[in-house]
Amino acid sequence: MTSIMGSAMTELQQNVDSPEEISSAVARLRQAVSDAEISPNDVINVFDSWAKGLDARELDDIPGIVFLRIWLRRGTLEPIITRELGSNGLHGGWTEYGLANCKAFPIGIVGHWPAGNVEIQPILSMTCALLGGNAALVRMPSGLVELTRRLMEKLVQSDPAGVLTRRIFMAAFEHGRKDLHEAMARAVDGAMIWGGEEAVLQVRSLPFPHWAKIAVFGPRISVAAMDAGAWGNPGEQESWCRRIARDVWQFDQQACSSPQVLFLEKAAGQSTAQFLPFLQRAFEAENRAHPRRTIPAALTSAICQARASWLLQDIAHEAIFPKGPDWTLLFGSGVDLPLPVQGKTLTILEVDNLIDPVLKFDGNVQTLGLAIADPEKEKKLAWLAGTRGVDRIVKLGRMHTFVPPWDGVDLIRPMVRMVRHVCSTD
Amino acid sequence: MNQLDEKIDRILSMPPYSQPPDDRQTCLLEMLKEELDYACQRHPGYKNYIQHWPVDYKTAGQVSDLPYLPVGILKANPPLSFVALDEIKRTLTSSATTSQLPSRVVLDSPTSRRMTKGVVAILRDFIGPFRRPYLVVDTPGSKGAENTLGARGAAIQGLQPFSNGTTYCLGLTDHDDLTLDLDKLREFAKDRRDTEVLVYGFTFILWNHLVKPLMAENVCLNLPNARILHSGGWKRLQDQAVEKTVFNEQLARVFGCSADHVIDFYGMVESVGVIYPDCPEGNKHGPVFGDVIVRNPLTLEPVAAGEHGIVQVCSILPTSFPGNLLLTEDMAQVIAYDGCPCGRRGISFRFAGRVPKAELRGCGNLQSKR
Repeated sequence: MTSIMGSAMTELQQNVDSPEEISSAVARLRQAVSDAEISPNDVINVFDSWAKGLDARELDDIPGIVFLRIWLRRGTLEPIITRELGSNGLHGGWTEYGLANCKAFPIGIVGHWPAGNVEIQPILSMTCALLGGNAALVRMPSGLVELTRRLMEKLVQSDPAGVLTRRIFMAAFEHGRKDLHEAMARAVDGAMIWGGEEAVLQVRSLPFPHWAKIAVFGPRISVAAMDAGAWGNPGEQESWCRRIARDVWQFDQQACSSPQVLFLEKAAGQSTAQFLPFLQRAFEAENRAHPRRTIPAALTSAICQARASWLLQDIAHEAIFPKGPDWTLLFGSGVDLPLPVQGKTLTILEVDNLIDPVLKFDGNVQTLGLAIADPEKEKKLAWLAGTRGVDRIVKLGRMHTFVPPWDGVDLIRPMVRMVRHVCSTD
Repeated sequence: MNQLDEKIDRILSMPPYSQPPDDRQTCLLEMLKEELDYACQRHPGYKNYIQHWPVDYKTAGQVSDLPYLPVGILKANPPLSFVALDEIKRTLTSSATTSQLPSRVVLDSPTSRRMTKGVVAILRDFIGPFRRPYLVVDTPGSKGAENTLGARGAAIQGLQPFSNGTTYCLGLTDHDDLTLDLDKLREFAKDRRDTEVLVYGFTFILWNHLVKPLMAENVCLNLPNARILHSGGWKRLQDQAVEKTVFNEQLARVFGCSADHVIDFYGMVESVGVIYPDCPEGNKHGPVFGDVIVRNPLTLEPVAAGEHGIVQVCSILPTSFPGNLLLTEDMAQVIAYDGCPCGRRGISFRFAGRVPKAELRGCGNLQSKR
């Protein structure tokens, strides 16, 4: 069993050194797609079993593992399939739309270029393509190879028939190997590209076939905002702060959905500074529960630089931080978005009215995490944020919840062909 | 300030490397606390930073608990200053590539004077106290204008107290490229076989504009008593893959001296007056008026002997700008906290390159506006 699993893993995830190795893997993937159609339900069957396999203590250290377990469950994925692929989409059936019937067909092989900062992103991206019945060719960021291998071993165990594993190839190679990136691009029918501006531009410039569908999830930042009714409510302050801390901690605040700034709306007779001790306690608690294991020295430098710049810049500025680089709260006022620091560095800005910072959004804000006591105000903010380019408006504590639409687009539908059939006998 | 000045001068006059580490810790802690008091009175923004530090510096029990600034803060323009404009005697700028902003530090007269004294105290321990012919492997223009001074100029000038006559052996071509003036160099070397001479140049300049041309022409200057100091780092020689031992051997060969006469020293304009020459064991040491703390990037606590971390430099010399406690962008390995076989007391360490450039990564990497 172990050796079979070992060989399946070898087949599925490899260090690649030549375009020919990619061509060979692509031939296998294309054969797998043409051999048999699989419905989203078939895929979910394996995913559900995989989710159970991932519920193992030895994987608890993987950032995002809890989220991945939830994402792979039937209860999460079924509603997404139904919404994106139609009411009969789950079983691969045709769904009636007026006089026509529509059904999702795979586009073929989907190439994935995940970012290196979100540990589970190669897998999340891959699952979107598989749910559409496609094969997945994944370029592995070098820092995530080992971690992904541990997760994929559980898939191999959950899929002894190879329903999904024969449709997957994860290629590990140096970021600078243009020939291998190009070989991947030439071989795929679609691509899901994630990451920073430079990475996204590089991948987009690769020689994809003219028919390839490209979905880009580029660099964005995210913002949190609370009105006075929320942050000033003594019964809820602690729980809101726990949620904010959770959103900041995930992915070391390096994801596009990570809040970099929290806007607090002023309240008559109350100082927003009162909220800081609650945030401090929540950050301390989150740090005890989920301490960092490693940090690049460059990030430590950037955190120290942010602390000093903030406090030197204006004597009205305040900050709370421990001796180490574990987390940082920078407090002041203003409606402009500060440049992101990452590394659990949250800038808290007091504003007269939450409308003011939202009016400054320029299309770079992906997610607006809200805690708003007044529902009418929330509706107004959501509308305004939508007009200012925000793609997700969610409750604080759920800023990373990976539910489509993401970045304003669906996750499965972009990588399928929706075939329309109007019956000739009608 | 006068009292503070006197105290600094008293420490500057002590032998730089003979104080036991505990005594040095006590002495530096007291001095640095006084200087923090003074700085807080002079700069409200700096005071704001100090007040928010997680440890109250007044009750801190060790130098490593005192509030330090990241060196990047000194790239501010106008520069951070604790003195009035009319007290500024000189502004030093760090070397910076076109993509980086240079650091700027302002010197008043007392800080400027201490800078010279500090460098002299350190170098006397390595090359002896007397004056000697001084060969600068650079152009006369590199010493800088009257009010501003770059890193090369600061280093050249810092060695002047050991000179009884200075010769610059590089010139500029019509295209402003550096070129070796071989005649001047030969003239300097003539009849000095038995004389102790001092040579200084930036590391990459020495290699590219002196060693390589002389090696190509198989020239030996026949200066067996040359003491060759160089600084500026190895980054610009990385693409030529020049190892330190090869560098030392080739340099020694063109001068006709022993390779152990070549001394690499680390200095940064942000920490004026404190330089870190290699001892015969290949280690660097902090002087009595300064120290080095190597911090673990994960915790920012000092690392154990043998471990690597980010370098913090400490110095009691500057009072005109916040350069007393600086977290640098360099990495180092602590060799030992005392007991270097060279006999110098206190920490011994070795540099291990620059902290990689701080860059935001991944899908949250947002630098430019849409």
